Amino acid sequence: MSTPVIPERKPKLTAGRLGTYAGAIAIALWIVIPIFFVFSMAFTTQETVRSYPKGFLPFIPFSTDTMEFFLSSDGVAEGLINSLIVAVITLVLSTALAAPAGYAISRYLFPGRDLFRLSILAVRAFPVVVLSIPLAVLFLRIGLFDSILSLALMHTALTLPTTVLVIASVFASVPYELEEAGQVFGASPFQAFRYIVLPLVLPGIAASSVFTFVLSWNEVFAASVLTLENRTLPALLLTRLSSSSDAFQFAGGFFLMVPSLIFMFFIRKYLFNMWGQVSK
Amino acid sequence: MTTELVSEPEAAIVEGPRRKRRQKLVPYLLIAPTLIFLALFFAYPMVQGLILAVYDDEAVLPVLDKPTIDGNQNGQLPQGSSVEILDRQGNLIEGEVTSDLLTELWFRVSSEDGAQGWAPETRIRVREESSDGTPLIGTVRTKLGAEADPLTDLFEVPNESSEVAAKVEPSVRVAIEDTATLEVWFQVRASGETADELGLVEGWAPSRFVQIFGDEVSGRIDRGTDGVFTTRFVEKMVEDRFFGPAWRTTLILMVLILPIQFVLATLMALVIHARVKANSLFLYIFSIPMGMSDLAVGILFFSIFTGNGLLNSVLEGVGILDDPKVFLSSDTRNWIIAAIVLAELWRATSIVMVIVVSGLQAIPDETLEAAELFGASYWKRVRYIMLPLLKPSLQVALILRTILAFQVFAVVIALGGGEIVTVLANETYRQYFELRNTNVASAYAVFILLMSLASAIFYLRAVRTQQETSGS
Repeated sequence: MSTPVIPERKPKLTAGRLGTYAGAIAIALWIVIPIFFVFSMAFTTQETVRSYPKGFLPFIPFSTDTMEFFLSSDGVAEGLINSLIVAVITLVLSTALAAPAGYAISRYLFPGRDLFRLSILAVRAFPVVVLSIPLAVLFLRIGLFDSILSLALMHTALTLPTTVLVIASVFASVPYELEEAGQVFGASPFQAFRYIVLPLVLPGIAASSVFTFVLSWNEVFAASVLTLENRTLPALLLTRLSSSSDAFQFAGGFFLMVPSLIFMFFIRKYLFNMWGQVSK
Repeated sequence: MTTELVSEPEAAIVEGPRRKRRQKLVPYLLIAPTLIFLALFFAYPMVQGLILAVYDDEAVLPVLDKPTIDGNQNGQLPQGSSVEILDRQGNLIEGEVTSDLLTELWFRVSSEDGAQGWAPETRIRVREESSDGTPLIGTVRTKLGAEADPLTDLFEVPNESSEVAAKVEPSVRVAIEDTATLEVWFQVRASGETADELGLVEGWAPSRFVQIFGDEVSGRIDRGTDGVFTTRFVEKMVEDRFFGPAWRTTLILMVLILPIQFVLATLMALVIHARVKANSLFLYIFSIPMGMSDLAVGILFFSIFTGNGLLNSVLEGVGILDDPKVFLSSDTRNWIIAAIVLAELWRATSIVMVIVVSGLQAIPDETLEAAELFGASYWKRVRYIMLPLLKPSLQVALILRTILAFQVFAVVIALGGGEIVTVLANETYRQYFELRNTNVASAYAVFILLMSLASAIFYLRAVRTQQETSGS
């Protein structure tokens, strides 16, 4: 049966494939060109940034002038450090809280499990904007306003639901039979978890942690509402947008984009774990 | 042997339920940290936010019949009402002194000839202090004015209405034995137009709630201590001149973006699903925008549309333009909107794509192969098999994207500055950050929440009725 089908398919496929390639490359260019342009602006002289017309892109002179100007600007170094601290605290808190919960969802059948899952899903869809204002008021009341910690707590609240669901799906991908088999051969439940499950789930959990880091690094609205002096990089950029030069903005954009470009490369396989399951 | 036989099942019975109960508890212990955290930093503030939008916790100030906290309530004055100031008195503060209090400092002093009593700080000049700043020795100040009583009163307790214990001459050296901090209270009466509405409300109130005007006999109630439910903030939001433009622009952006976005996302998903060579590279590139900050995307498209940006450079390079065109200014509102639409298409199409791809992966290969075998063209397979089976995924993606669309913020600021083109999230930010109006900001937040909920319910309903009609 299969032999007559193949010669029929082949010519169709090449034509279709060409179209697919053309489409793929067009979309890829649409995504890559703006990034490339801002990156080349971030690594050139400030005069080039101001100049017009800019000519053909690869020949923009390379220089660290824009970068140096940006990094030596008032508040930028602090902003970068603040962003880093907030993102790391968020990563640690979110993963530490979500890992047990994710394990519970994937391994135990308990009354209230579906309710928990559903409410986590609902929480994830909630608008950030809605949460920021009351949290700012709350933090103001308990004296935590304008602190790095308060922002990290907020970011944890934002990322926790996603992390729980992702970690649950990571655990679910390791069959419970493996753990049981370990116990049959004399491992304690803890040992079975430590030596069998943990090595298998660690990459997935690491991926979700990285994604948490990126989300926190990127977050603008809550950071702008919750901080005043201790600005993170996005909040700093946002408040300076109207008063800063193009060079400043492009260099800032570079720093905003770098973590996501690097980390997305490593976690691209896990994206479907993260977002695919919402439709199930 | 018999004892062993008996003890074994006994042990099993004892241990059985215990292990079971532990097993039952374990999942709850595991989810407890997440639940507690979300209750503290999600549910609680969310409820607070809802309350902030409709509840004014500083709406009315009770005034008391005497200047102490345990006085009886004479009546209430709403925030902002004008008052006459009738009298002023210090009142001993129990506990800590916070910075928002208007206070008086009193000293208990004793002179060398045995006069003892309390006097306000204004009557004593401190001459010596201990190393930690505690006043030790002072002199009585000279009263100014010819008609004034040259003697200074020392009171029994730190209160001007208490008994006078002694009188001291000016410039006498006194030892300062103790200090007391008093909070100033005002006796206020509703004045003029305020009184007409309220009747004649009169009583004492702590100074921190009363704003005194320059003439020192009139003032207004700065804020109250008791709350009331009010639609004031919602009304203020609706009447705000940016409210109409904000929600209209938010909706317009949604209508312009979502249809193109879903077509584009489906195309991208089909490309990925076709599993061409270098598929994993394309998947990486297609998913880059997912990890991008909305502010970064705003800056990306600013770099394209700004006066000496990429678009002008390219257009001039090709020869279409001679001079750079200004895209992002107050005269080119439509260009700003176009830039926002493109930026949002760039930014948020990936997430839809990922959801659609995982929907496509759930379609069994056999189904598509069977269709192909029966001669269905690629287009027909997409139209009649893939798209109908993708409906649940598309529905989820639509709900998610709509909720995200209500929150569009940084892109708008980066491209339009937030004045010419404004959206709901930007108004929330402006009310909170620039106008310091937390309650109105909360009203905006609640409005966004309700719109998100309504659209989610609308989509769920729409799909259900569709299913019902097709089922019957």
